[in-house]
Amino acid sequence: MLNAVPLPAVLTLAAALFCIGLFGALSRRNLIGVLMGVELMLNAVNINLVAFWRYFEPRYITGQTFAIFIIAVAAAEAAVGLAMVIAVYRHYVTVNADEVDQLRG
Amino acid sequence: MYDMLAALINGTLGWGWPEWALNLLSYILVVTIVLVVAPLQMLFFTYYERRVIARMQDRVGPNRVGPEGIWQPIADGVKMFTKEDIVPQAADRIVHFLAPCVVVAPTVLMFAVVPWGPGMVPVDLPTGLLFFFAISSISAVGLMMAGWASNNKFSLLGAMRAVAQMVSYEIPAVLSLIAIVIVVGSLSINDIIAYQTGLIVSNRDLPGIPDLGLGWFVFTPVGFVAFIAFFIAALAEGERTPFDIPEADSEIVAGYMTEYSGMKFGLFYLAQYVLNFLLCAITAIIFFGGWQGPGVGWLYAQGITPENPNGNGLFNVLAGVLGVFYFLLKTYLFFFVMVWLRGALPRLRIDQLMDFGWKFLIPLTLANLFSAALWVAFTRWGPAEGMLITVGWSPVLRWLAAFVVTLAINLGVYLWLTRVYAASQAERRRAELEELIAAGS
Amino acid sequence: MEVVVQVVFGLIALFILVAAAMVVSVRNVIHSALWLIACFFGVGALYLLLQAEFLAVVQVLVYVGAVSVLILFAIMLTRQISGEGVRQLTSRWPVVLVVTVLLFATVMAPTLINQQWNVPPAPPLGTPEPIAGPAELGRGFVNEFLIQFQVVGVLLTVALIGAIVIAFEERARRRRVLTLAEELELKRLRERATQTETPEPVEAEPVARETRPASEG
Repeated sequence: MLNAVPLPAVLTLAAALFCIGLFGALSRRNLIGVLMGVELMLNAVNINLVAFWRYFEPRYITGQTFAIFIIAVAAAEAAVGLAMVIAVYRHYVTVNADEVDQLRG
Repeated sequence: MYDMLAALINGTLGWGWPEWALNLLSYILVVTIVLVVAPLQMLFFTYYERRVIARMQDRVGPNRVGPEGIWQPIADGVKMFTKEDIVPQAADRIVHFLAPCVVVAPTVLMFAVVPWGPGMVPVDLPTGLLFFFAISSISAVGLMMAGWASNNKFSLLGAMRAVAQMVSYEIPAVLSLIAIVIVVGSLSINDIIAYQTGLIVSNRDLPGIPDLGLGWFVFTPVGFVAFIAFFIAALAEGERTPFDIPEADSEIVAGYMTEYSGMKFGLFYLAQYVLNFLLCAITAIIFFGGWQGPGVGWLYAQGITPENPNGNGLFNVLAGVLGVFYFLLKTYLFFFVMVWLRGALPRLRIDQLMDFGWKFLIPLTLANLFSAALWVAFTRWGPAEGMLITVGWSPVLRWLAAFVVTLAINLGVYLWLTRVYAASQAERRRAELEELIAAGS
Repeated sequence: MEVVVQVVFGLIALFILVAAAMVVSVRNVIHSALWLIACFFGVGALYLLLQAEFLAVVQVLVYVGAVSVLILFAIMLTRQISGEGVRQLTSRWPVVLVVTVLLFATVMAPTLINQQWNVPPAPPLGTPEPIAGPAELGRGFVNEFLIQFQVVGVLLTVALIGAIVIAFEERARRRRVLTLAEELELKRLRERATQTETPEPVEAEPVARETRPASEG
């Protein structure tokens, strides 16, 4: 892997994934779609961390540990985010971000 | 497998094959065995379950096709294959087609880490146990796909129930296994089996115990609680009665399988029985020593192993046969218990199921985790880790202390939890009744 | 050997990018979520290729097993089951597309490719390389990363409780459909309420006995 695929290839892949996720998060109307975009971005970040870990210091655990923390935070974010989506849906009967435009309802 | 093949081809037959050819051949053989064994187990399990449940209900069960109806599953399989494949008009065709594949594929993949006998594990992953549970959680996605793509209310309800149940009971299942992982100190399934040598007491905890392959975890307080919790969770994961809520046929037809027919339905059926087999197998492996039993360890030590390359290949075969025999015996015994429960218990309601999982099993397994840590501290820690009480104790004394302390903790937590749980259920019942009265008046 | 790895990497990268593109462009939200699962799988495969075995398994366990199921659940609970006919992208999506493509093409990709990374030379094939596995990770979590580990545990607990609190629906606000058994019980309770002056002999049924204080009080 180290000799066959250069590090920039992996990083470019992660960057592309990040940009796709960013596009999804910014352009989706559906709140769940926005959350899915954010998940893609978090995955892209994780690919970067694992790639740096593997190419630079495979005998230390810092990179993997960081990735695991990000996975845990992503799981927490998804749980709270989706709970909020459900709460919003219950209140406004829509999950489209641009239709939720009242501060008090 | 590789060792045996190398010994056979390059040693006994003297053909001198290169290493990659041996590797390729051994993996092809392993994959073939895995892919053939999975459906065969499923065929046997359907027949076994029908006969046993019939006996319990004072019937005979299938007995026409072949001697004692042994070919009945084959006949059923032929029927499945020749049935018409129906897809509802309003269904999402692609997802509807993909769902059975997504459900079956993980169950077959899980076979990759199941050891059948000494040295007979297809792939010995260092994270084998975690792999097993990670892969098993994929089938929830397949169930969701099936329920949604059928465009049928019953399917969707069944899928939601199935997934909610699987996700909630995965937690106690994994927590009870983590207790064992703490004691063993490894996620590899082979290491967990290797730990369970000895006689009632594991060899690793008390060196000098005669090795009869009976040092199973179920004989320790930690392992016993974990076993009970895991088996209940396994019943829920495998959708067995009393937890067969997702396909409760008297409520929601057949749950997520309602709109499936022919071989696609057959695939769901296959996945379910293979999953049941695997859950029974993993119970046998983790808590009852897997292939460990009197004689296997001794036989295997005489054979060709990485430590002993000059052994006799015949002993490998003997140890393998005996190991597989013990393993399957334990697995079929657990499946018998599953069928037995199906014959004895009625179905739970979904809220009872959720309450039991979240309010009883999870706290119990968490307390068990604490006991497991104490077990390790008492049996293995010394002053270097800060365990000053056990300095100078003999191994027997340390083991006894660990046994008594963990037993006391587990028993106390169990008794306390049953009281709290019963009180909370009574309280809930009272609140529901009040609500009912309010709604009625 | 190197060609094999390159081809595998190329396939995985293609799979990840196609799946991710489908996630953000498909109209149907459920299909989008299913493509997201495919993308998670691709990333897991990439971790395996990078020899981060434990992370690959955790990726499957957490993302495929938990997060995606959560997303599917949320979609089904909000009745956005088929997004056909509903506009899925905001009106300014072309602007966003241009911005993200420019971000990738002019900032990220050139920087990443032109940067001198100073990767330490890989050991020649065949020599065993020390790679941190699950055992080292576990030791790290209880030694140097203990505080962070605890904080993540607290965070997950808080998230769990928070999610329940946010999505919780008051019992009273729930539309209630009585089951047959409950209707029967209600009927019995009403009968009981009319007969409070003439108490019946003690009934054997525990349910009826429990209700007595409630119906009197």
